[in-house]
Amino acid sequence: MFEQVFQWILKWLPEAVHPYVMPMLVIAIVLQVNLGVCSYLILLERKLSAWMQDRHGPNRVGPMGLFQPVADMLKLLLKEDVIPGHVNKFLFVLAPGISVFTTFLAFAVVPFGPVPDGLTPGDGKFPFIIAPGIDLGIVFIFAIGSLAVYGIILGGWASNNKYSALGCLRASAQVVSYEIPLGMSVVGLAMLNSTMSIEKILLNQANQGLIGWNIWYQPLACIIFFIAAMAEAQRLPFDLAECEQELIGGWHTEYSAMKWGLFFLAEYTHVITISFLTSILFFGGWHFPLIAEADSAYAGATAVKVFVLLSKVFAVIIVIQMLRWTIPRFRFDQLMSLAWMGLIPLATINVVLVMFVKQFELNTLWLFPLSIATFVIAGLMATQSSRPFARRGPAAVEPAAHGGHAHAH
Amino acid sequence: MKNGALLIPVVLGWLAVWWMLPREKGRSRILGALMALGALLALQVTFLPPVGNVVRDSLFYLFSGTAILSGGLMITDRNPVFAALWFALSTLAVCGLFLLNSAPFLSAATIIVYAGAIVVTFLFVIMLAQQSGASNYDHHAVQPVMASVMSFVLLGALLFALQEWGGIDGKAADEVKAGQFVAQDAKVRANIFSQPPSSNKNEIGSMRVLGRSLFSDYLYFVELAGTVLLIATIGAIAIAPRRSQGTL
Repeated sequence: MFEQVFQWILKWLPEAVHPYVMPMLVIAIVLQVNLGVCSYLILLERKLSAWMQDRHGPNRVGPMGLFQPVADMLKLLLKEDVIPGHVNKFLFVLAPGISVFTTFLAFAVVPFGPVPDGLTPGDGKFPFIIAPGIDLGIVFIFAIGSLAVYGIILGGWASNNKYSALGCLRASAQVVSYEIPLGMSVVGLAMLNSTMSIEKILLNQANQGLIGWNIWYQPLACIIFFIAAMAEAQRLPFDLAECEQELIGGWHTEYSAMKWGLFFLAEYTHVITISFLTSILFFGGWHFPLIAEADSAYAGATAVKVFVLLSKVFAVIIVIQMLRWTIPRFRFDQLMSLAWMGLIPLATINVVLVMFVKQFELNTLWLFPLSIATFVIAGLMATQSSRPFARRGPAAVEPAAHGGHAHAH
Repeated sequence: MKNGALLIPVVLGWLAVWWMLPREKGRSRILGALMALGALLALQVTFLPPVGNVVRDSLFYLFSGTAILSGGLMITDRNPVFAALWFALSTLAVCGLFLLNSAPFLSAATIIVYAGAIVVTFLFVIMLAQQSGASNYDHHAVQPVMASVMSFVLLGALLFALQEWGGIDGKAADEVKAGQFVAQDAKVRANIFSQPPSSNKNEIGSMRVLGRSLFSDYLYFVELAGTVLLIATIGAIAIAPRRSQGTL
């Protein structure tokens, strides 16, 4: 059906633009859906927060508050857009744009449905991905993700405000640190699947059935990836850059109206991308036993596959939003030691485990107990050993206190 | 002199950059821009790529123009924060050129390492060091003549090599295969450290071939580079903390 309609539309267009019609269409659909979904995710987050705190949440606009996002959007658009004095105007306006641009660009290589084989431009198959056939999708996402920090740094610096500056310094240290575990956690995945392409990793899992899901081979990598990605997105419990109690709003203190809204649009898009990646890389993407297998060809199978993938993504988003009110915000030294002393060594061990299993040609299922054992041992080491950071503070002042004490006697 | 025409863009470019380098009294930006434009126009006589696909060509000119413009602005901007940003933009434009030439891994790795980590660190340091705006030292270049002359001598040498090589067209097949700009003589070729990689040239650029080549043809160098990095890391850790200040 879709293909016929598409071919009919193509007839009316000049030959030269045919390869660009489908990508433009997909981009338009992704942008529009994303905007709508983001505004309703904010409503969902507020409702979830209310539910977890035994409140009602927004319930005035429309039935059960369902039109609240519309009201919010109108407010953001119509509010006075303040640019404070003594700011660097160009960078101040540029920063939210960079944030949105980078997060949307990262979505270009994320498949949101079953990508058909043998795509050629203009054949009318809906590709379910903006840029099909990118050989190193994961590396592309990390490259674009590493640019996202510019939005925060420039916004914080251009605001000419101490709170903003502190927020952006925290953010840049945090994002640069967490990029390393994020990148290393998928190295094992790339070695197991012998590819960096997100589509191929998904297909590999789907072809093997439920046992092929990467969560059985890389549970530790999944945890590391999820934590590091949350830190990259500056979500609670990692939102030190915008820590309200200390920094008012951090890097977006001076922003108002839609420029502020753009920062949050970027944050929610980032959350959506993370959820897509987590469910595609580790939970089999659109594969689900019996109803959405790689060879299921009943009518509407494509729709079911899209539905399965979106349900998985939705589940991950719910987990991310519930974590917000479950784990309190980290202290800055805890944040840094988590990355450098926790996640990076664990990710390295994970990579070595994969190498070990591949080199000695063991059954790859061995990775499950090995990963769990590593995680348990690391957890025991962390909780049973004396905590270095907790000890360091008092230890520095202790000699002086003791000296004073001795003198008194 | 066969390559004499190269002198015009190099000298004009040097004049433009030297004229625009930051100093106490600002100079006419228009004059500098005109000289830079003249240099580029003189350069395109020799180095203009052949016209092909419209989309590819426009992307090429977009990326290369951005790279050259932001590269020039990076060294002539008086504000260090903007200079760092121009550097980032220049890196991104070069990554776009890599992508156009089917080297996606190089492109992504360069973005991650340069734009994503190194320039961010620059910005970090600049913002930490100069919270009250740019200092006086940033308002004029240190040794503008020496720096610009040296860089343009290097640029001239690079352009000379490019012109001597003359592109893939009209080259012997084995020379193109070896990917060399200038033909090597037998003595150089006999040195084991300059042996060309054995991998299949047709697949160059794909990550599989790159990795295979790195860890077979160039294993020794990869290990060496890794060791140097390790030593540098240990050195940094040894130098950074001060026992007397209680930071170790």
